Amino acid sequence: MNAKRIFSLMLMLCLLVAFGAGCAKKTADSMPAGATKVEISDKDTDWQKPAPAPESRSLTEDEIRAQQREQAQREVGNMIFFAFDSFELTPESRNVLTSKADTLKKYSLFNIVIEGHCDERGTSEYNLALGERRAKASQQFLNQLGIADSRMTIVSYGKERPLDPGKTEAAWSKNRRDEFKIQN
Amino acid sequence: MKLKIWIMTLLLVLAFGESVRAAETLSVDIFGPGQTRVNILVLPARGVNGAAATSLARSFSEYVQGDIGFLPFLRLAYLTEVLGGDPSKGVKADDIDFKPLQLSRIDLVLTISGAGQDIEARVYETFTRKLLVGKAYSQVDQGGVAHVADRFCAQLMRVLTGKSGFFDSTLAFSKKVNGGKELFTASALGRELQQVTHDDGFNVSPSWSKDGRKLAYTNISDLGHRLGIWDRGSRVSRLRKFPGNIAISPTFTPDGQIAISLSLNGHPDIYMLNSDFKPSAPLAPSWAIAVSPSFDLSGRKMVFCSGRLGGPQIFLLNRDTGAVDRVTYEGTYNTRPSLSPDGRFVVFARMTGDGHRIFIRDLVVNQERQISFGPGNDEDPSFDPDGYFVSFASSRSGGTRIYVTTRYGDPARLIPTGPGDAMAPAWGVAQALN
Repeated sequence: MNAKRIFSLMLMLCLLVAFGAGCAKKTADSMPAGATKVEISDKDTDWQKPAPAPESRSLTEDEIRAQQREQAQREVGNMIFFAFDSFELTPESRNVLTSKADTLKKYSLFNIVIEGHCDERGTSEYNLALGERRAKASQQFLNQLGIADSRMTIVSYGKERPLDPGKTEAAWSKNRRDEFKIQN
Repeated sequence: MKLKIWIMTLLLVLAFGESVRAAETLSVDIFGPGQTRVNILVLPARGVNGAAATSLARSFSEYVQGDIGFLPFLRLAYLTEVLGGDPSKGVKADDIDFKPLQLSRIDLVLTISGAGQDIEARVYETFTRKLLVGKAYSQVDQGGVAHVADRFCAQLMRVLTGKSGFFDSTLAFSKKVNGGKELFTASALGRELQQVTHDDGFNVSPSWSKDGRKLAYTNISDLGHRLGIWDRGSRVSRLRKFPGNIAISPTFTPDGQIAISLSLNGHPDIYMLNSDFKPSAPLAPSWAIAVSPSFDLSGRKMVFCSGRLGGPQIFLLNRDTGAVDRVTYEGTYNTRPSLSPDGRFVVFARMTGDGHRIFIRDLVVNQERQISFGPGNDEDPSFDPDGYFVSFASSRSGGTRIYVTTRYGDPARLIPTGPGDAMAPAWGVAQALN
């Protein structure tokens, strides 16, 4: 008797567990086969103009060019720096310029402006000439690596456009530089 | 208004009864080996017939005293230095007791009287009681009183020294505007300040033509360097591009040509432009940088800055013989020379341990001395048309401003140029624009 009662209780417990587990999956599995699934959404629906199917649009030439220009400027934009009253290219500057030459070969449609800059310690007129020599040094190096002079324009700003207005050697060393900008 | 003042001045000057014989009286040799300092006392301005002085006359007195402060050969004396105080009862010689002035070592006494819009001013030499300068001005208003005071001081300087270039000149200079630089002009005392170019970019290195009708300068923009020529008559500037990458330090020669640093052979050399702006063969060519030409009054001597021996140094070219002589031997960085009109003195900026300072070199006796003392950087020295005053730009007060000293290194005086950094002053012989 006791064994029968225990067996009955266990059977009921198993049925309850099975019933509970079945409830948890009701939404997924309880739909009869062949019934239509209806989804309810709170979003507004534009009944007049059904949303167009996304289509793949090709970029215009201008957009491609703008993208390339941006990419070229990113790759060519690294500045190079000089010692005081010097327009000599350092080994590091030569490496940077070599990389620029590769970029300019890759983006052969673009020309660049090379800007020569100086720190504030020199005087204005001499610095304008020194800035030109700095820009010229870069131009000549790039030319040796196969970039035509006609693709490079030089502007010397002397000490008119400092990158850092500070009065320390750290600021001055940032200002003695060549900048490279995509021109067209 | 000013035209009226001038006409009335001419008429009223003739009305003064006392003769002016400056040649027989006190004179100051501002170029002598040791500078003479003359004591001058400005007596309180008076009204007519015992009336109180007009505010116009008092303004005139203040401006005159301010102007005298720019003249190192004059020392302004105070009334407290005179025994017994004010020794005058009026503004003419008969109204002045000169004895206490003589005892107090006052060399010159200046009297001022005013009624309505009229002003009279007289300078007497105390030891001879002679009238050195006597002027009357009519129809003066508050807006023009500073200009009238400047003209009076110009006459006083002319009588005492034979020179008046300081007051008769216009300074052109470069000034920061909207992230760039434009050219401005003002009198040597900073009056009549005017912006004359509107080119955008950076306008630097102005140089006057000898007749004061044109300014040459460099315009720097994304388009590169261009030579700018501003015409005083039309108030219009034209920009001109040259082959190569630069157009630096354009400078008028006394005969109206322009010398400019161009890079036609791959490095900056100085070229003379003809009337069609075509460059001739380079002057004193070298492989190195050559900029900043400056000429004497004959146009045959040219000083310039060159890196041909390493760092930048000053050199002198004799255009007749082609000989190039090195001028500076001390220091490793000497730039921006200016040659005195007589060709004897060169002022230039030297980099020292304390920053740039202005030095002067006597080319005859080969001696050199420092004439500016900072702090900060003193740059861009420029001789006035008399070769006595030297203007320069200095960062001594924080921002860059224009100062004036003399070739003897007298204490530098600030020339007011309004807010914004100002630099590269250049003297022109014409009077300030009005």
